[in-house]
Amino acid sequence: MKFSYSWLTEHLKTNVHFEEIEKKLTSIGLEVEDIQDIGKAYQDFIVGQVLEEKKHPNADKLKLCKVDIGKEKVDVVCGAPNVEKGMKVVYAPVGSIIPVNQMKIKAAKIRGVESYGMMCSEYELGISNEHDGIIRLEEKETIGTSFSEIYGLNDIVIEIGITPNRQDCLGVKGIARDLASAGMGELLERKISREKGSFKSPIKIEIQDNKICSAFAGRYFRNVKNTESPEWLKNKLKSIGLRPISALVDITNFVMYDENRPLHVYDADKIDGKIIVRSANDGESFLALDEKDYQLKNGMCVIADEKKVLGLGGIMGGESTGCSTKTKNVLLESALFDEINTAKTGRNLSILSDARYRFERGIDPNSTLKGIDLATQLILEICGGECSEVELAGNIKENKNEVSTSSSYISRRLGFEVSDKELISILSSLGIETNQTGDVIKCSIPSWRQDIHGEADISEEVIRIKGYENIPTSNIRLKSKINKNILNYAQKKLMKARHFIASIEYDELVTFSFTDSKNCEVFGDINKLKIVNPISEDLDILRPNLLPNLLQAIKKNKNRNFDSFSIFEIGSQYRSTSPEDQLNVACGIKSGIKTEKSWKNMQTEFDIYDVKQDLTSLIDYLIPGNKKISVSNDCPSWYHPGRSGSIKINNSVIAGYFGELHPRVANQFKIKNKTNIFELYLDELPNTEKKTTNKPVLNLSDFQIVTRDFAFVIDKKVKSEEVVTSAFKADKELIRNVEIFDLFEDDSLGKDKKSIAIKVTLQSNEKTLAENDISEISSKIIESVEKSTSGTVRS
Amino acid sequence: MKDFRELETEIKKASDKFTNIESINEFRIKFLGKKGIISLEMKELASLSGDERKQHAEKLNKIKDSVLEIIASKTEELNSEELEKKLNSETLDITLSTSKSYGTIHPISQVIEEVITIFGDLDFFVAEGPEVETDYNNFTALNTSEHHPARQMHDTFYVETETDGMPNVLRTHTSPVQIRSMLEQKPPIRLIAPGKTFRCDNDQTHSPMFHQVEGLVIDQESNMSHLKGCLEIFLKTFFETDKLNMRFRPSHFPFTEPSAEVDIGYTKKGNQLIIGEGEDWLEILGCGMVHPNVLENVNINSNEYQGYAFGMGIERLAMLKYGISDLRTFFDSDLRWNKHYGFSPLNIPSIIGDLS
Repeated sequence: MKFSYSWLTEHLKTNVHFEEIEKKLTSIGLEVEDIQDIGKAYQDFIVGQVLEEKKHPNADKLKLCKVDIGKEKVDVVCGAPNVEKGMKVVYAPVGSIIPVNQMKIKAAKIRGVESYGMMCSEYELGISNEHDGIIRLEEKETIGTSFSEIYGLNDIVIEIGITPNRQDCLGVKGIARDLASAGMGELLERKISREKGSFKSPIKIEIQDNKICSAFAGRYFRNVKNTESPEWLKNKLKSIGLRPISALVDITNFVMYDENRPLHVYDADKIDGKIIVRSANDGESFLALDEKDYQLKNGMCVIADEKKVLGLGGIMGGESTGCSTKTKNVLLESALFDEINTAKTGRNLSILSDARYRFERGIDPNSTLKGIDLATQLILEICGGECSEVELAGNIKENKNEVSTSSSYISRRLGFEVSDKELISILSSLGIETNQTGDVIKCSIPSWRQDIHGEADISEEVIRIKGYENIPTSNIRLKSKINKNILNYAQKKLMKARHFIASIEYDELVTFSFTDSKNCEVFGDINKLKIVNPISEDLDILRPNLLPNLLQAIKKNKNRNFDSFSIFEIGSQYRSTSPEDQLNVACGIKSGIKTEKSWKNMQTEFDIYDVKQDLTSLIDYLIPGNKKISVSNDCPSWYHPGRSGSIKINNSVIAGYFGELHPRVANQFKIKNKTNIFELYLDELPNTEKKTTNKPVLNLSDFQIVTRDFAFVIDKKVKSEEVVTSAFKADKELIRNVEIFDLFEDDSLGKDKKSIAIKVTLQSNEKTLAENDISEISSKIIESVEKSTSGTVRS
Repeated sequence: MKDFRELETEIKKASDKFTNIESINEFRIKFLGKKGIISLEMKELASLSGDERKQHAEKLNKIKDSVLEIIASKTEELNSEELEKKLNSETLDITLSTSKSYGTIHPISQVIEEVITIFGDLDFFVAEGPEVETDYNNFTALNTSEHHPARQMHDTFYVETETDGMPNVLRTHTSPVQIRSMLEQKPPIRLIAPGKTFRCDNDQTHSPMFHQVEGLVIDQESNMSHLKGCLEIFLKTFFETDKLNMRFRPSHFPFTEPSAEVDIGYTKKGNQLIIGEGEDWLEILGCGMVHPNVLENVNINSNEYQGYAFGMGIERLAMLKYGISDLRTFFDSDLRWNKHYGFSPLNIPSIIGDLS
């Protein structure tokens, strides 16, 4: 909401300095967003008088003038055709800046003659398009006076943010009233004459649905002249950024911004019969003043005559009854439209208008007739003509909100003592009448405050006027804990996972929860993930997986010359757009160069064993202690079928995957390098929350450790893990560890065969193993491995 | 009586010629070996008697000790000479190096963890809710009815699923977590709820996805002065400063009454924002006393219980604290940015250690 300081002072008698008013506005909840000192741009321009005027010796169209500017007389070369001796002019001294083109005036020789300063046209000063000649000021103006004073430009324009509850401050008067309540001066009542009207309005009004419009006041004017508005009115509207149109329209705008009372003026000669306020019919259409055709629906409030729709109640008038300069007879409307219905209609039709903005926030019912009175006075004054009596349909309800409160309630909420006396005094400054019985203070809320419904609202009024800076600061530390844990088990898991993954070289990214449906068919059912109003076409679904955005990140960074990627994200992905279908996932990618070629190392590239190791060590970190991790081949379709694995923990559901990105998917994302990925479904991890702080019992053996190596030739298809597990099975007590230390494939081994070598670590808890113990167990190991892998031991 | 002077002289002479470990060994054998001079002398003791034996034995043992000492010290001497030689030949170019690198934690995660650490110390727990929310939880339960003007300021994303006949939304703020938590838990309640939020807005200063942290305290006495106290501790701790100009000013949120916006003072030195000092104000968060209607909506008696709530933008906190100038870079996945603004994974915010 914009207003000018001079406009404010029409409602507020004050001797408080402007800067204090500015601060107060913010401190009472009318946040100052911008201040424009209009006068500043004109501060250098003053009234001068042309003393002499003669021809320039070297130019036909230029004149040499001597100008009296009060403290001195200066020579000015001037090209204006209308300059003449004795004329009062607007003088721009050397150093001033011309508003229209920001040119700085310098002392200069013009065609060989010295010139100091300039005489200005309205165009040059940016106040109109008039540039045929310089401004001729009236004779009475005193030399040396500031020009901005004469043109009423010595003003400040203030823009404040109005929160949705403060409908009362959508007019300058309301702002003045709030400032007066806060001790910034005295509210002035505008003197408005009450015209009775000399005849009965020929246009009758009928409200068919009083739920959508409770009251409609109309007044007929005949023989008006819809001229251009007078300067004061045009300047007022211009100062707050409105374009003057014609007197009738300007007057309604003025009343809206002054009194927060939206009005409408119809060309009465274009109305057929009476005015009917009713709900629209489905399929009815209407051409509004914004020159757009709107399709109306049942329930929307229309103002109609007996033949057509004239306007959308509380939102916008229609083209058919719009006023022009030829308009002679008009009907002035001041009505009360339902807030919710106005909001609904405005939203459905996507019409933003000043009227809608005000009606959906609630209008002071008492402004209905006051608005008519103020507009009448101005119309008669500016446009002439005669007015009818006011025709009122419906009822202007005056049932004031009543709220009961007490100083103890207010004090308890605000955190400091507010006495009955102080409470009552603040309320009365706001126009809230009070009536105290015992501790209870009954408040009668004035009609302009539609936002005060309960005690909590009263507490806000009190602290707003008293000042938020007067709220004390209290300690909030508790004597005893109320929460057992700050983070729950699942939240801790997420945080641990994040730090662990970053510690093994991955950079954490945070990408949008949206993604492009075009590349996502493979990841989920995109039809279940649609956003109705996406921000752009390529962010049209909720992501079914973290990968698409991470793959895009790889592509982008590839273009920035990165050739090694270790990135991850921990976040949510979605199975559908139902609130419960959100999963927590950690997804990491390693792609490109693992170790750069260096004096010490050969260049190597990431492969699936890197991400497998990362995934299993992550699981190990998150679920410490004994667990069974098993790997199998069943991976989703975005993985390379032969180079990927799924991981189960303790034989329950699949908790994660690792592997190479399917070449087809890589291709879709235009990624050429092998991309190794892991995904961990954090919600699927078994809950291994610590139940005791004790660590498991530690059993140490001091007997000698023995290691033995074995090599087996097996089919390529047999998984190496089978060798390890079957070796372990040979003796669960003595075998402490089995590790693969060599793997090779060669035709000499036979077709489709490979050799796997394992190192087995043996130790007893009871004795040092003797040679015969060791050979006994070795045979068992060979037997077990050969049996379960159908392989043979190499000797 | 033998005085062994000759033997002593011989030992001294022999001990001057040591050049390596072998010569020491020869020396040992010569004097202490089975047939060594001293050993033979020892054997002869048996043939002596009385005082003479005693005196000879004493003398011989002394000489034997001195030989052992010579062996020990000379061995040590030679060993260290040898080591010195070896060390002189064993040199590496220490200007060569290999590197161990860590990944980085995103500033959003870092700031969320800092916020959790500070509020955790004040006995808040971390609550959560889904990112797709019901219209009821996101608006209606928060005292924002279907046609409330405040709804228009939210630029809501809608999805195709519905709950109770209303389309579900991407939550526009973290406030619906208040509703979920209060339905689950009775007062006293102290929680914060960090998380992703969404608004259909995309320009220089708006991102369609951003992060907020919500705070909620409900008990029998928490009032506006506690709210002020709470935010003062938080902001001072978060910005790691003792000086903090903080300004509360009235605002409006449908779910709090009274409502306030909080500004903090700052000055600009060059390109740097100095938080806490100065006359200029930066808006940092919104807060207020929970509206009685909200409490009634979750079946908490608003005559018995009251409390406060606040909400702030994580990106804004991160930008102010760490001097990040552009909101949209957070989600750009430019690895140069991530490596520059990211945090060490070992740097877990802590009350006893460093926050950042």
